[in-house]
Amino acid sequence: MTVARKFRAPNRLSMLARANGGMMAKDALAAADAALEPLRAESLAVLDAALAEIESRFGKAAAATRGDGAFQDLYTLALRIIDVSGFLPGSCVDQAAISFCALVDTCSEAGAWRWEAIDVHINSLRLLRTADLNPDQRRAVIDGLNKVSQRRIEDL
Amino acid sequence: MREPLHASTRINLEKVEVLLVDDSAPSLNLLSQVLLGFGVGNLTRADSAKSAQTLLRERTFDLVISATNMAGVDGYELVKWLRRGALEANRYLAVILVSGHTPPSHVFKARDAGANFTIAKPITPKIVLERILWAAKEDRQFIECETYLGPDRRFKNDGPPNGAKGRRREDPPQALRPPGAQSASSGALESPDSEKAKS
Repeated sequence: MTVARKFRAPNRLSMLARANGGMMAKDALAAADAALEPLRAESLAVLDAALAEIESRFGKAAAATRGDGAFQDLYTLALRIIDVSGFLPGSCVDQAAISFCALVDTCSEAGAWRWEAIDVHINSLRLLRTADLNPDQRRAVIDGLNKVSQRRIEDL
Repeated sequence: MREPLHASTRINLEKVEVLLVDDSAPSLNLLSQVLLGFGVGNLTRADSAKSAQTLLRERTFDLVISATNMAGVDGYELVKWLRRGALEANRYLAVILVSGHTPPSHVFKARDAGANFTIAKPITPKIVLERILWAAKEDRQFIECETYLGPDRRFKNDGPPNGAKGRRREDPPQALRPPGAQSASSGALESPDSEKAKS
């Protein structure tokens, strides 16, 4: 049987965070929001660049070569979109990218690409990023994507 | 149950030594700005887990916030290493992992690596501050055994699974009731709703 040791470790963060001074949470949050604002344009440029790279390497236009791409590369590009999508609240771009990650995960596990599902995700990301959709329409897009990404290869 | 963030909660991060690790520059920049907004006075950035390992061998930190998906050594491996191979003073520090894709399997992987908490991206200042406060109020003990070193992975002591014998002194004598079963007495486990009402 494995022997386990249980003990209390010192929590330096706790001791320092309770020190006198500092700020109230509401002020800290306001300061963080203000500090993020200068990164907005740069972050949206990163998002658009990631989407463009996904389209050029894994979209229909790259049909002849996209099969040679690595699952990890597409996964990392989708993660890059999630990283900066906090600047588009309510757009559901983050959720579409999360669904994309789930899809690439299943492709990677199965060792096979699902191009139709990938094309649907790329088109939906572009739509959510650029089109003037209402919240219900955005929700419907995400519901559809989640159904697509959760479907496993053997279900097809 | 951990407390949600209150507007009037005070926090002082001026002297906290934070190590931020992410190989994505945009993500590293966003998190840095958030932490600077919180008043973190000592912020160190590492653009890879390897660089973070070098720093964790040389300097003492109070909090590590790391991405999970990184080329080479990933965030999970970094935490596992930190708990055993870092400078002695860094082995028990609070670690928060940040990930864009957090299916349950990834959250369990983070927990089993020895991370205190996981945050799903895209990050929001509110969630980051809340998790930092949770880490500051962390009251779980550390567990060390052959295969694991990190905070106790039980967030609640609901007792052993139904039919299993408890292995810890503090385990309640009664086994965990099966899902959906009614509480037998006032001393038995409470429903999630009653817990929610209390928090």
